[in-house]
Amino acid sequence: MLLKPKAKNARAKRFLVNRDPKIVENGKTALFVRGSTTSQVILDTLKDLYSLRKPDAINFTKKNEIHPFDSETSIEFFARKNDSSLFAVGMHSKKRPHNLVLGRTFNYNILDMIELGVERCTTMQQFKAQTCAIGMKPLMIFNGEAFNQNEDLARLKSILLDFFRGEAADKVSLKGLEYVITVTAGPAGANGETGLVFFRAYTTTLKKSGTRQPRVELEEMGPSLDLRVRRVRQPAEDMWKQAIKMPRELNVVKTKNISRDGLGDKYGRIHVGKQEINKIQTRKVKALKKHLDAKPSKRQKTSDDMADSD
Amino acid sequence: MDVTGILDEHKNRFKSIQVERLVPVEFDLGLLACFDVNMIDEAQLRASQKARDTYLQELSREGAQLMINELFSLPTTVDEDSVYATLPAIRTVLPREKPAPKEKPMTRWEKFAKIKNIQNKKKSRMVYDEDQGEWRPRFGFKGVNNDDQKPWLIEVPGNADPYDDQYKARREEKKERIDKNKRRAQRNFEENLAVEKGMKPRDMRKRELQSALVLSKGSTASMGKFDDKLAGEPKVKGLKRKFDPLVKNSDKEKSNNMEILNRVSKGEAKATGVVNVRKAQRAINNAKRSKKQE
Repeated sequence: MLLKPKAKNARAKRFLVNRDPKIVENGKTALFVRGSTTSQVILDTLKDLYSLRKPDAINFTKKNEIHPFDSETSIEFFARKNDSSLFAVGMHSKKRPHNLVLGRTFNYNILDMIELGVERCTTMQQFKAQTCAIGMKPLMIFNGEAFNQNEDLARLKSILLDFFRGEAADKVSLKGLEYVITVTAGPAGANGETGLVFFRAYTTTLKKSGTRQPRVELEEMGPSLDLRVRRVRQPAEDMWKQAIKMPRELNVVKTKNISRDGLGDKYGRIHVGKQEINKIQTRKVKALKKHLDAKPSKRQKTSDDMADSD
Repeated sequence: MDVTGILDEHKNRFKSIQVERLVPVEFDLGLLACFDVNMIDEAQLRASQKARDTYLQELSREGAQLMINELFSLPTTVDEDSVYATLPAIRTVLPREKPAPKEKPMTRWEKFAKIKNIQNKKKSRMVYDEDQGEWRPRFGFKGVNNDDQKPWLIEVPGNADPYDDQYKARREEKKERIDKNKRRAQRNFEENLAVEKGMKPRDMRKRELQSALVLSKGSTASMGKFDDKLAGEPKVKGLKRKFDPLVKNSDKEKSNNMEILNRVSKGEAKATGVVNVRKAQRAINNAKRSKKQE
């Protein structure tokens, strides 16, 4: 159990406050770890995923005795020390060749993880395309209805979205849409084995199309991975519920009674309550006073006479 | 004038941006993601690797085209030389990395400011110092307010002793202000702690005082039995001094004496068999460090 560090100067205090829970969180950092035995394929995969994830990524180059599905303590320790909530562990054994475990943590405890077998990997170096700048947000495409139907693939989709999300942004530069990641769910095998999941990454070039929207042309950038889902650890119900809970401050406050029409004019709506016109307090005018006894006044008589005379 | 010919020529010059999809594609533009549930051509995926990759690239291009079409139709803002599209809120539920922060209770000042509706006025970091003719920070290093040279002249106030050091008085006032601030911050901290535990601050202080009182009773040989009592002090039960019987079991007497001897000569760990892990670890670390330095 790690002791909570105490800050001895202002800089350390700022560092620790940055790691505290916040309303709007920092971008998630990913940690890339190697298992006790690795293969070239899995090392290439880790290296490429790390370069896609930069700058919010930490790469451990030394080998570690780490088995995420058997023991959680290693991962949780790393997550706490490095303040990383995403992790990728790569290892290789005869039983599970080219094994990649992707997962995420919540409050420094493992939330969920998925074990993938990398059946084929083409690295970024093998594609002669120009790589995009570091830190760009990718466009993500998930092809296949299996991502909605199959529980394991739905978990993979959620983890991959989190992994390649980049920093949260409410605006994006239309010039900065430089790369695309496509994940396609392949068909199930003939003997009932789960299908391959095809992970591809491309750089985009936007060409003129004569209309406002440009024409997209893609060039494969890498890495190109063929993955097979092995084991999946779904999150615990209560942990998931707590992780989804959004703080009240983030709830969007709906402005009521204000609307804009097509021309951009702003309209406001005022609700006036029920008015009792009889009881409205106005300035007192004696002439308008209602007499309790309906006595015809002298003046009225004379006007009547005048009317009669005419 | 027949312009259809020219229009067709113009259209044919550029490649189409339309993409046909049977089932409309779902977008989550806040994440720059799209989810396509259309049927995939399985034959292509089972074919050779090259055919598969070409098919996947085609699929991806169409998906990317659809997304670019959507993104370019979003409301935009122009900033310097780039055009930004305002993204809508995220629709997929993604988990946070840490739980939401607990709401901190308001400090005394915050409560007061809320009642009086006092707004926080933002002050700038730099202030123009006319004497030196340059911008200096309002506080901190080389700040305007902690310069000992300023003011170069202090008038003695009407009611003060003319022989008093006014500069000293200023410095002491500043120290007092700092101490006051620290005391208030400490008070806020204690009040916050009490509120988090669900007690009123006054009750918490009362409890702390009572526990300190009980502890202090143990420092007298008679366990505070004959101490002067305060008004309203509660009676403490069970605080007695324990004496061993005069005639003890000989084995027990021997083990007690050996324990005392071991404690004095060899240490607490050897005597009682209980090891303070933290101290032991620190001793080991210190030894390692001193060995490294050699």
